[in-house]
Amino acid sequence: MPDSPRHNLPADPNRFVGRERDLHDLRGLFAETRVVTLCGVGGIGKTRLALQVAAGLTAAHPDGVWLVELAGLRRPELVDQEIARVLGVREESGRPLLDTVAGRLRDQRCLLLLDNCEHLVDRCAEVVEALVAACPPVRVLATSREPLRIASELIWRVPPLDLPDKVTADAESVQLFLDRAAAAGTRLGPESLPDVVRLCRALDGLPLALELAAARTRLLSPGQIADRIDDRFSLLTTGGRTAPARQRTLLAAVEWSYDLLADKEQVLLSRLSVFAGDFDLDLAERVCAGPPIAAGEIVDLLGGLVDKSLVLCDESRYRLLETIRCFAVGRLRQAGEQEALRQRHLDVLCELQERYFLAEMVEPRVPWPRRLEALTATRTLLPDQRAALDWAAASGDVGLGLRLCRASTGLYPIGGNLAEIVGWLERLLALDVSGLTEDEIAYTKACLAYGLETRDELGRALEMAREALAGLAPGSLFPRCVVHSLMVVLLLRMGRADDALRHAEQGLAIAERSGDTWNQAAGLAGLSAVALTRGRLREAQRHGEEALVRAREHGHRWIMARTAGQLGAVAEARGDLVTAKAQYEMAEPWLREVGGYLDLARCLARIGRVAAMLHEFAAARERLAASFALGRETGQRQGVARCLVGLSVLAEYEGDLEGAVLTAAAAAALRESIGQHSATIRIEELLGRARTKLGDGRTAGLWSRGRAMRPDDAARHVLEGRRAPARVPVPARSVRPSLLTAREHEIAGLLTRGLSNRAIAEELVISPATVARHIANIMEKLGYTSRAQIAVWASEHHQAPPRASA
Amino acid sequence: MDERIVMVDSGTGLRLTEEQLDEMSAMATVQLRRRGVREGDGVLVCLPAGPDLLVAFVAVMAAGGVIWSLPADLDAGTLRELVRGSCARVMISNVPPAVDAADESRVRVVMGVDDLCAPHPHPV
Repeated sequence: MPDSPRHNLPADPNRFVGRERDLHDLRGLFAETRVVTLCGVGGIGKTRLALQVAAGLTAAHPDGVWLVELAGLRRPELVDQEIARVLGVREESGRPLLDTVAGRLRDQRCLLLLDNCEHLVDRCAEVVEALVAACPPVRVLATSREPLRIASELIWRVPPLDLPDKVTADAESVQLFLDRAAAAGTRLGPESLPDVVRLCRALDGLPLALELAAARTRLLSPGQIADRIDDRFSLLTTGGRTAPARQRTLLAAVEWSYDLLADKEQVLLSRLSVFAGDFDLDLAERVCAGPPIAAGEIVDLLGGLVDKSLVLCDESRYRLLETIRCFAVGRLRQAGEQEALRQRHLDVLCELQERYFLAEMVEPRVPWPRRLEALTATRTLLPDQRAALDWAAASGDVGLGLRLCRASTGLYPIGGNLAEIVGWLERLLALDVSGLTEDEIAYTKACLAYGLETRDELGRALEMAREALAGLAPGSLFPRCVVHSLMVVLLLRMGRADDALRHAEQGLAIAERSGDTWNQAAGLAGLSAVALTRGRLREAQRHGEEALVRAREHGHRWIMARTAGQLGAVAEARGDLVTAKAQYEMAEPWLREVGGYLDLARCLARIGRVAAMLHEFAAARERLAASFALGRETGQRQGVARCLVGLSVLAEYEGDLEGAVLTAAAAAALRESIGQHSATIRIEELLGRARTKLGDGRTAGLWSRGRAMRPDDAARHVLEGRRAPARVPVPARSVRPSLLTAREHEIAGLLTRGLSNRAIAEELVISPATVARHIANIMEKLGYTSRAQIAVWASEHHQAPPRASA
Repeated sequence: MDERIVMVDSGTGLRLTEEQLDEMSAMATVQLRRRGVREGDGVLVCLPAGPDLLVAFVAVMAAGGVIWSLPADLDAGTLRELVRGSCARVMISNVPPAVDAADESRVRVVMGVDDLCAPHPHPV
């Protein structure tokens, strides 16, 4: 994450044709405008134009240009989540995700590109309004059929491509058609130009319509296509005849292209509309096969749809343009297949996830690369999992929905997802669950407890975990062990080590009998944590070492890192800092591999703190800086506070008591703001030493200064090893008077006398309109917005107009 | 400076002074330029007769644009035809049928009277 490129824009799939003036104007708008929405009908090229605009704005946005694709989202609350996901922001316990996102973006010069807002336009408007208000440097470029209708928005209507006129045939629409026809393998000579011109006019310069038509030029001449498109207008079967002309044109083109498909291609295209995100061949085969299509035929059918530009393909992943997908959904509905297909989609997702879950977590002796493959596959399927869960909730198939929830590690905290699993489980449990077995309900409660613990709802989590243990069937060994481990964590957090011990032992015993290495490692790590709490360091060490052995046997990097971290904590407790650091450092690459950024931030902070105590200051600084950056990127104030404490330790060991007090104070203030307590003992000791060395007054002054500091400034103080510079106001734009022409100087001078345009015109013997022109040019050059500003500037800068300048 | 009146709005009786006209049209020019109006660009102006129309005219000229004026009381069908037939990139109008017609035209940005006079919200 810290070293990733500062944008996530996809590479151009083919040449971008035309719209040069528009690109220039749109990019220029962002100098003055916070929110620009590209509006227009589907297929007019909003997304492509937005991507092209954004690609030209990366240099102006050093903190990144981030594309957030909303088309696949079906519910408004997912807008916040998707933005957070793209930015790498993780939810904080007890804080609305949007607040965390806004906190992360507050001083970031970045551009958010929200693509396809129309179906979630209300939520998009709220989110954009909130971000624009809270984050002054942030810009938003949105694409939507409907405007967001917020105060800061500039609505920019995307027109079709330029049409050829009688004089010039070199219009944008013609260029696009010829370019895409050539890509389809058709060379069109000058003799076909009149027909191409006719076709471009018939298609009203709509890019998507032109692309669909160009994809057919291998079999049909432009003249034939133009004739058939004309016929289409009288045959439109979907949509109203009252729809706007462009929408009807586009629909005609899509219908025409669809009707030319072979029957099986038509069926497949409509079925592909069930996917929420992009998909691969395997998923398409599993979900979309069925009479009249055999699974083996799908690869060729998909290829045919790609050739006809109805399906896009990028390195073995396929997707549908939103406009095509909407059309295909309509066809699926007409065919009466929608419910069956969505059910099949849910079935397949469930089946796949359960397989991935077993491979990632449960099956013994699976090599790590295969476990990681399963985890990665789960994460890739997340948009489809959400769509499937929506269907489960809508159709009342609670059983399958809950099965999918239980198996989707991507929805759990291990995937960096705090609230989502809780939301889904609660939504499904609120439906009719009478058809479920007691075991299924109990397993679901176990998952709920897991999510609740991460959200710090300890009381409810404990209750759910208890009910889960009571209800799980005797054969449900893996979930039972997981609940025992969760109990250990919960009870230790509540200060009940004796009860925790019982659960650690029970869980371990079951895991030993069933040969479940994941839970053996978790159980032993739990025993080690209990022993550590009770101060039995040798016992804690023994259990920790054994836990790491079992974790290595299992191979999952997450559990390995967790047990290594436990051993590090034990070493730290006995004062063996060298070993502690080695253990934490062992966990670091493992956490990078699973992409557990929250755990990674914690691990780096620990390494940094221990390194500082070992007087390895350079290493300490590097790790703490990395951890701090991660905490900022992911929006975790808790992580930021943890780093500040580490930096305070570093400063003190380096002999910088001032820095130590400042950062400790900043950490304390930040923790209070999120309702957390600080470790008061260390603070008291630090302040005691500071008072002795620096005096009471100085120390108190530093403490209150540190509390008022922004975390970034406090961190920089120690990280850069010097006092953070005060935030210097950006110097006013310096204006070189020579920018103005002699005439403009003259007019600026006359403005200081308060003359009107008419009076200036009379004085200079020119027309008032010309005076207004000159004044407009002066304002543009000086960046002013009123005549009065020019007058003030001129009276300050103006002695005599330089004679030779022009 | 003596206060010269350049126009009295027949409907409201509000007067537009020369100073106001100069200042408002200067501000409006900046807004037009920000929205991409350049030398030689056609700008559709469809406003009822009155001070706003005058400000818009002066501003478009000062920005280097070419005024394409549409009477605000034209019937919706004719307005639609004229707006869709033009190749203007910017339109200044608060007249609903004209604004609606922009949807199927080549107009990129529609500016209301408020957009002319007020600086854009959340300025940089």
